[in-house]
Amino acid sequence: MLRIAYNLYLYRELIAALTYKNIVIRYKQAYLGILWAVLKPVMLMLVFTLMKGFIGIETGSIPYPLITFAALIPWVFFQESVSEGVNSVTSNAALIKKIYFPREIFPLTAMVTKLVELAISFGILAGMMVYYRIIPSAYIWWVPAFILYTMVVALTISFFGAAMNVYYRDVAQAIPIALSLLMYGSPVIYPLSLVQKKLLIEQAAGEWSDRLYMLYTLNPLVGIIDGFQRVLIKATEPDFGALYPGLILTLAFLPISYWFFKRAESWFADVI
Amino acid sequence: MAIIEVNHLTKEYQLGHLTSAKETALNALRRLTFQPTLERERFKALDDVSFQIEEGEVVGIIGHNGAGKSTLLKHLANISKPTKGEVIVRGSVAPLIEVGAGVNPELTGRENIFLNGAILGIPKRVIQQKLDEIIDFSELEQFIDTPVKRYSSGMTVKLGFSIATSMEADILIVDEVLAVGDLSFQRKCFDRMEDLIKRQGRTVLLVSHNIRQIQRLCNRVILLDHGVIHMEGDPQKVCDRFYEQSDKKIKDTMELSSSKSIGSGEIDLMELYFCNEFGKRTEDLTYKKDCSIHFKINVIHEIEDLTFGFGFHTTDFLYLTTHNSEEQINIERIPRGITEITCNIKQLPLLPGIYSIRFGITSGKSARTIFYGENMKHFQVIGKIPITIRDGFFALDAKWEQTDANTAAI
Repeated sequence: MLRIAYNLYLYRELIAALTYKNIVIRYKQAYLGILWAVLKPVMLMLVFTLMKGFIGIETGSIPYPLITFAALIPWVFFQESVSEGVNSVTSNAALIKKIYFPREIFPLTAMVTKLVELAISFGILAGMMVYYRIIPSAYIWWVPAFILYTMVVALTISFFGAAMNVYYRDVAQAIPIALSLLMYGSPVIYPLSLVQKKLLIEQAAGEWSDRLYMLYTLNPLVGIIDGFQRVLIKATEPDFGALYPGLILTLAFLPISYWFFKRAESWFADVI
Repeated sequence: MAIIEVNHLTKEYQLGHLTSAKETALNALRRLTFQPTLERERFKALDDVSFQIEEGEVVGIIGHNGAGKSTLLKHLANISKPTKGEVIVRGSVAPLIEVGAGVNPELTGRENIFLNGAILGIPKRVIQQKLDEIIDFSELEQFIDTPVKRYSSGMTVKLGFSIATSMEADILIVDEVLAVGDLSFQRKCFDRMEDLIKRQGRTVLLVSHNIRQIQRLCNRVILLDHGVIHMEGDPQKVCDRFYEQSDKKIKDTMELSSSKSIGSGEIDLMELYFCNEFGKRTEDLTYKKDCSIHFKINVIHEIEDLTFGFGFHTTDFLYLTTHNSEEQINIERIPRGITEITCNIKQLPLLPGIYSIRFGITSGKSARTIFYGENMKHFQVIGKIPITIRDGFFALDAKWEQTDANTAAI
């Protein structure tokens, strides 16, 4: 973890230059430019709001579009970081064969690129909060910590996925499917309170309910999305009970994933 | 202490493609149960290569395609890892391996300068300082804010070269980049390289198929052959050896193809041989000694008004001399049958080395070609040369003297 942070600092200029390149080449010839980046969460929010009209999801007094958008911000950031990150090594094959610098720069850059898009999404959220007259509380200072946590989760998957993808391109095919499944396993469309109500209060799965809830919260995104909603909109402190299983899992896997990536790195140029 | 140390470097590649999931799973199972696994055939790109390079040395690496040159450079640049052995590099490395690897077509020239600078590890501050110099050198002032995808291919490589050589590192690794752009830009590149090498005293590793460049720039040359160091040392000797090797390869392929000359079929060259100063047949000629070249020809159809010509050229077809028979002998007609023509050379001026010969016959005032062939025979010039003559192909009959400045002015 420290090594990653150190490299991030050491190669900050390279990461900045590569990020700039990524953004420029992506939007240079597009009239709407970087607005395309935020179109995705906005469209999803509109679709979900429309869906909510048919299904009826309990969200309390808070407007549904706002709560969904607060969930979509970390989700889209995570999803895009991972899918870019996993492909980042193979899509830079030309560079890998010619010049050496630590290869973790590629997944890191993919993530930093998405960080720029994340900032724009926050701008839209701010606009929505003004529209719905919701005043942020002091808990908003939790947001940077949650973003950092999301980055760590995305990196854990990216490192392992990117290294595997060099050897087996199946990974790049599997990741979009896995991610879209994971979205339903995360409280994006529905709030976490709904799951808690079913499993913890109503004990819907009988004696398995508590264990099932634990399994559910092993998904780090559960804690993250719920945390975002709480500190940004609900003005309450994060639910640590929903956070810690995912956090432990992530922190356990990050070193393994990074180690795997560094080990595989030596052969990238030969295999890619 | 050597700045680069390569000890018993071996690099193996697996031949063939990635195995299927079934194969991989079966192999994993075999490994778990301690049974021999199915190995793919291996290929040694480098085989136990060891050498050292001291600071400030300029070392050329030559060899045929697939000799392992680029693989070696990749290891020095830390791009590939050795299968066996070790590579120790004490200092920062600037890899100019195929300049323009990081040039992105969507970005403008200026943006690419910053991007490539970052990729090569040049701090932004340094690039900013050198920006004008880089743009100036690339000769692209007018197009610097145009996306590179609108550039011609020559412009792109010019840009790449300009960025790459602005980098300050202890060790420069250069792979086939000197032949960039048009003639005048090539000249500039070459001067820039010479400046980096000779005046700034950098350690440089050069890979090129342009042996003359290598010979000119390097003070040591390593000849690689099938992943093994074949020869190492003085550029002249190693390059000559390489020419010899290439010649053999060329000869072998030529003997396979039916003919190496063109002709109208009226004349056939039967034999070409040399005689030394005593009139004895020889394979090698001696520097500054008389010799003669004999062409034995078979005349199939009677022809008139003949001119013969021959010339020496280097093995990479640099024409050094030609000598025609006009005004020396006048052959109006030649009867059918075998004839021999001889050309006598006084004090052969060619410096020791390997050369080849070309030969042609024309007929009539319009100089219609009856026979022409290059690379007809390879030969070696041997002999001792005085220390005043070092490089080149010819000895110049010249003498140094010191003249008093006052008298010289008159």
